[in-house]
Amino acid sequence: MSSSAMEADTSDLVCQLDNVQGIVDALSTVRWKRHQDAVVELSEHGIVLIVEETGCLQAKVYLQKELFIRYEYTAQGRPRFGLSLGLFVDCLNTFSVPGHSSTIEIRYPGPDMQLLIKSADSLDDCIYAEIRTRIPETISWDYNFEPAGSTPLSFTVKSAALKEAIDDLEWPGSCIQIILKPVPPSVTFRGEGHGDLQIDFMYYANTDLLIAFHCDHQVSYRYKYKFLRATTSNMPSSVTKDNRGSKLTIGRGGMLKVQHLVSVARPSTSHQHIDSAGYQQPSRIAYIEFFVKPEEDEDTVND
Amino acid sequence: MKFKAFVTENGVSLLDRRFLPALDKMGKICHLFLTREHAFFLHNLLTTPDGIQSIAQFRKQALFDDYRISSQNEDRIAFAFDISLLLRAVRSSVSIISSESGGANRLQVKLVKKLPPNSTQPMPFLTFETKGYKSAVIQDVPISKPLSRDQLLQLQAALDAAQDLPRTLVQVPDLNRLQNFVDRMKHVGDLLNVSISKYGDLHLQISTTLITLGAEFRKLLVVGDKAQAPDEDRDLSAQTRSERAILMGDAQSVQVSVRHFSKSLQCHLAKPDCAFYGIAPQGACLTVIFQFFIPGTRQTDKSISLHCRLPVLDPGSS
Repeated sequence: MSSSAMEADTSDLVCQLDNVQGIVDALSTVRWKRHQDAVVELSEHGIVLIVEETGCLQAKVYLQKELFIRYEYTAQGRPRFGLSLGLFVDCLNTFSVPGHSSTIEIRYPGPDMQLLIKSADSLDDCIYAEIRTRIPETISWDYNFEPAGSTPLSFTVKSAALKEAIDDLEWPGSCIQIILKPVPPSVTFRGEGHGDLQIDFMYYANTDLLIAFHCDHQVSYRYKYKFLRATTSNMPSSVTKDNRGSKLTIGRGGMLKVQHLVSVARPSTSHQHIDSAGYQQPSRIAYIEFFVKPEEDEDTVND
Repeated sequence: MKFKAFVTENGVSLLDRRFLPALDKMGKICHLFLTREHAFFLHNLLTTPDGIQSIAQFRKQALFDDYRISSQNEDRIAFAFDISLLLRAVRSSVSIISSESGGANRLQVKLVKKLPPNSTQPMPFLTFETKGYKSAVIQDVPISKPLSRDQLLQLQAALDAAQDLPRTLVQVPDLNRLQNFVDRMKHVGDLLNVSISKYGDLHLQISTTLITLGAEFRKLLVVGDKAQAPDEDRDLSAQTRSERAILMGDAQSVQVSVRHFSKSLQCHLAKPDCAFYGIAPQGACLTVIFQFFIPGTRQTDKSISLHCRLPVLDPGSS
């Protein structure tokens, strides 16, 4: 049932948002294959969606409550449920009308523990959906990301450049080595397989590409190409267009964290009305995080 | 068996920019059925019952002048052809006509039998001939052998049967928007439930074990049988509302393929002025009727008509 007065009392969460396409973009970023199970966790701070590839790769999408125009959370504890990511994205996509800003309402749980979505724009037209949820599988929480030392090992690179570099590394394939060097400050992506390909980002030479760099000692880790690729392969065009920058951090044991920012700003409906506040709302950002485990490799040298 | 006519300027623009692109989306092979007064482009009337049927009808004056037809079957001729080939021939004729100045260029179309290269058997063609001051271009579109008397009668019977109107028709508010929605819906499931009520409600729903996704459009213009929506319906969900309307005999519901439904919406390429959906009596099919206005007016242009019939996959609750 798409609406009934009774549900309002029992729902853990009722929220409304006015930029469906932004949320579709954010969720599509972590959609690296056709059939993916996701776990959704609700809290007073917002919605977190988690997907993972057994034991190697995990991704999280943070939809903070500031992204919603209404966010009413009444649950005790943190309700969690599982659903199919592909179905969720395809379903949300039907609510997005190009050239229109459409407002939708998301409600959980429905009478049968479904996730309920409906359009909230017009009284005469209505789009609604009910997605069956599952009891979530336990997430392996061994992706706890801890800093590698007192100084963080991280760099921020323009998102489009990162995507291009990773796309280029497809040719050697298999394993990609990421090397951070303090002197000269640089990041190297090195692929060895059918041939060698090395891409260097020199901090001082490419400040327009490599926006920030922190590293006090040389580190080098190898990552499976297909997992590295998953972190950028479905980056929405809005991210490469905004080209803010993606942050990569190497944590203890070589765990790689890749962070993207996806804009969920309300689309400016007409060009006359671009107000400075509405155009670049800093709070209207969805955060995407990927965690990639390094390859267990004997000859990886770390000092 | 003879057919010869000139395609008018209006006819060329109707075919080239509107109807052939739309009909091309309905299916590759199409029948052209010519009578003394009308030309019909027909999809799937003789062939598979599980395909979408489309019927485009033109009064001869809408497309042709100097229209001459004769045959032993009461001056009726029908044949099948590949619609993309016809579109290509018309397109290139248009480019020849527009590239030559002066009004002397006319596009003549006629039925011919020719000996194709490397063959001893003459084959039927629909020939387009453009004559200008400087050049003449002839294009032969291969067609099937003209239908026999029996096949022709069969086609005429199928055409007559396809003319029955649903009792209630609702006007689709915004074809482009609906098309956009249905195209996205296609990713979620294959079967679409369509219910149409006398109150002017159009309710589309895909339901699988994992998801139910639907859209309801209310207070649409109704043509034919209409009824006043019960007041207590207002606060109900779309699903409950259509279930109640069906129980009260005020609505019908059928299940069609999402792919067919999306195809039927492709007819907006023919630039209709409005579109109506309705369910044929006994839930025999889902019918969509496109209406064309006389340019510059709100009056129906009776010389052109287009409608599609979508096969019903499950008789539903009619």
